[in-house]
Amino acid sequence: MEPALVTLIMGIILGYLAQRSRICFIGGLRDFVLVRDTELLKGAVAFFITAWLAFSVAGRLGLVDWRAPTYGGDAAVQRVAMSGTLPAVALSGSVLDIGLPVLVVAVAAGIALGLFSTLANGCPTRQHVLAAQGVRDSVFYLGGFYLGVVVYNLVTKPLLALVF
Amino acid sequence: MSLLPKFNALPGVVPRRVSAVTYGVVAGLLAVGVQVFFGVKPPPAYGICVACHARDLVAWLVNHLAGTHWELAPVSLILPLLTTIGLLIGAYVAAVRNHERRKVALGGHWRSFVYGILVVNAGIVALGCPTRLLLLSAYGDVLALLAVAGLAAGILIGTTLLVRGVAN
Repeated sequence: MEPALVTLIMGIILGYLAQRSRICFIGGLRDFVLVRDTELLKGAVAFFITAWLAFSVAGRLGLVDWRAPTYGGDAAVQRVAMSGTLPAVALSGSVLDIGLPVLVVAVAAGIALGLFSTLANGCPTRQHVLAAQGVRDSVFYLGGFYLGVVVYNLVTKPLLALVF
Repeated sequence: MSLLPKFNALPGVVPRRVSAVTYGVVAGLLAVGVQVFFGVKPPPAYGICVACHARDLVAWLVNHLAGTHWELAPVSLILPLLTTIGLLIGAYVAAVRNHERRKVALGGHWRSFVYGILVVNAGIVALGCPTRLLLLSAYGDVLALLAVAGLAAGILIGTTLLVRGVAN
């Protein structure tokens, strides 16, 4: 089946469950720190453990090509790497192989992601749910979120290119 | 709204409340499942990512409309992944079905707008949104694990700021 269609259906299922569970992977740690509530945190842990087990089982069954290039396609997407700008290394050995600049940028971006998501009152998944529920702030957030991709291509990426 | 009675006529088909753990387990199985069984790759461990899939969607549209060559994942070259659109539809249906859809304005419109820009940029640079960082870590990616550590630190800093009343 076409990946676009598969992810659309998956998204609908996840959106439904996310609305019913109020899931937020950012909110997990936040709630634990604020009020020692572990409900959402358990969701994030369950996701990680399930994905880890599923990858392990699929790997044992030969369904995962661990040596698959982390990216592919034509020259235009060579820089995509695992998802974005950074050349990530799946199972390729020690952290030292990654290189210090990449490591620093990844951790710094992680910190920024956590900080801004906390201040924005939820992770991107949660914001999509809230927007669909009728929260105006989240609708504005999504406006910034999608417009932010344009900002990324016009500003952030050229800036990063100066480092790498 | 006219569909509501019809939905409500199916009691017990889907539980009204779902625990966070249930979401985590279902999302984990789907994230790996769509890669293994439905070919949502390359790159690997890309089954769920709100930031990257939003990036793919916008980049695909702009590339096709304006002839640019903005980066997107190879799997999104022909048609973009539509996870984020699905999220909106699913959450909308759930909210309407359970009478939880209502207009709420918390009064931070433009602040939220700016946070949206900042979060998607941080997400794309940091390999993905929080969900994908966990997914990549589960796949065995060392860099993603470090980004998760950064993510946790960022949440702690943000929560501290909220408690002290510095932000919001």
